[in-house]
Order: sequence, then structure tokens, then C-alpha cells
Amino acid sequence: MPGIRQPIVIVLLLIAFFSAISGKPLDGLLMLLIAAGLAWDAARAGSREAAAAPPGGAGSLPQPGLPAAVLAGPPEPAPPPGPAGRRHRSGWRTAGAALAWAAAGIGYAVVVGSFARFSWPATMAVVGLATLVIVIGWQGPVHPRPDPGPLPKPGLALWGGVLLAGGLWELLALAQQPGLDVTSLAHPTLSALTDPVLASHSGRSLALAAWLLVGGYLVRR
Amino acid sequence: MTSHDITVGGYLAVVAAGVILEVAATRTKAPVPSLGDVLTRIMRTRTGRVGVLVAWAWLGLHFFSQ
Repeated sequence: MPGIRQPIVIVLLLIAFFSAISGKPLDGLLMLLIAAGLAWDAARAGSREAAAAPPGGAGSLPQPGLPAAVLAGPPEPAPPPGPAGRRHRSGWRTAGAALAWAAAGIGYAVVVGSFARFSWPATMAVVGLATLVIVIGWQGPVHPRPDPGPLPKPGLALWGGVLLAGGLWELLALAQQPGLDVTSLAHPTLSALTDPVLASHSGRSLALAAWLLVGGYLVRR
Repeated sequence: MTSHDITVGGYLAVVAAGVILEVAATRTKAPVPSLGDVLTRIMRTRTGRVGVLVAWAWLGLHFFSQ
């Protein structure tokens, strides 16, 4: 199966393996399913390309015909041709939808934040939402944006450097812990630093709200 | 300065570097793309898009799920 050789599929399979052996079988299963889906999708795209080369290349996202904006936050205002009254009503609808999404997000953060970390209710709520967002994202962006075109390589390298530095610093702290699941005060990982914040209901709710905002931002891109 | 301070300082330096890059991208003519443009570019393909969304999902799973 050629799709399994994709770097992202290999990374996901590694995450699935390490999640499973570190006592997070559900995370591992989710990653395994996504890896299998991507491998199957890549293999299908490859065989389609062999039959007829479509414009855009393998794995290109279909931009039109995107799914409804489930969980994607408030829809962006469309260009409003037509009478001023219709524009006014459309503005109210947009504001109403934004308020509804905000209320749903706050409700989710408050309710799920009330569950203890690593409990089954918290697990189900987070896994369910993560799965839903990935399924929506699989189809393509909810609000397609114009392609920014080729980006300057030095700038991209700088962003990559920041990401790499953050990852290596975290790995260094993890390696200096007494054990993989024993935190160190002298060399705290990000998980150890966030533990006190996530110990309280309000801290968990704020963290979940931030997580939701980022997810909504990403699924719209 | 303790090891704890140095470790936390490292994380803050990484965050500060990201903020500096974003400011350089949006407020100057430096050849640096904004984080939004980088994400949009990465997410043009299904594998890139799903990869970014999985990274986001993993954060939630890591901090909250069993």
C-alpha cells in the first residue's frame, strides 16, 4: 500500500504505538484510525492519478462543496448584494449564529471542565469533539481562503526553527525527569507546568475554551 | 538562577521568538510569513490539513483524556 509510506502516516503510526504502550489506548486507536484513513486516501488518490492526472496533484483539497460549518464558529459575513433590509437581516443572523456558537463553546468548556482530568466523561467529551473536528476538516476548509502562494523560504525556516526549538526543549526536560511519568521540579515539562492550572475547574474550563478557539480557527483555514 | 528558572526561561524564549516572528511578518516588510499564512499553506493538502488538526486534537487528548 503506497499510502503507508507518507511521512504523516508514519508519524501517526508512531504516535499510535507510543500512546498505546504508555497507557493511552484510546488515543492510540484514534491515531491508528486516522493513519489508516490517510494511507487509504493517499493510495486511492495515487491510483486515480495513474488513470488521469487531475489538476492540483494528489491529496489536493476540493475547495467547493464544503460541509456545513459545524463547530467552525460563526460564519464570515458574505458580500451583501441586494437591498439594505436584507443586509440588515443577514447581519442579525450572523450575529445570532456567532452568539449561539459562543454560548455552545462556553457551555462545553464549563461542563467538560467540571469533569476530573483523565476521567471517562472528560475522555469521551474530548475524543468526541476531536473526532468530529477531524472528520469536518477532512472534507476541506469550512471557509476556503485564498492561497498565499509560495512563502519565503528563510521565513519558513525561522518558523520551523522555533517549532523545533520548542520540541527539543520539551524533550530535554522530559529526558531529565527521574522517570517518564515522574515530573521534575528542576526540569519541568509543559505538562508539569500546566498541572497546577488544570487542577481547578476554572483552569480546566479556560484551557478547554482556548483549545476550542484554536480548533475553530484551524478548521476554518 | 535555578534549573527550574532556566527551563521555564527556555519555554518563554520560544514563545517570545514566535511573537517576534509574527510581529515581523505583520508589521514589517521582512521576508517572514505570518503564522496564519504558514498554516494556510500547510493545510492546502489533505495530509497537511489532517496533520495540523491531529496535532490540535492530540493536545486535548494529552491534557484531558485517559
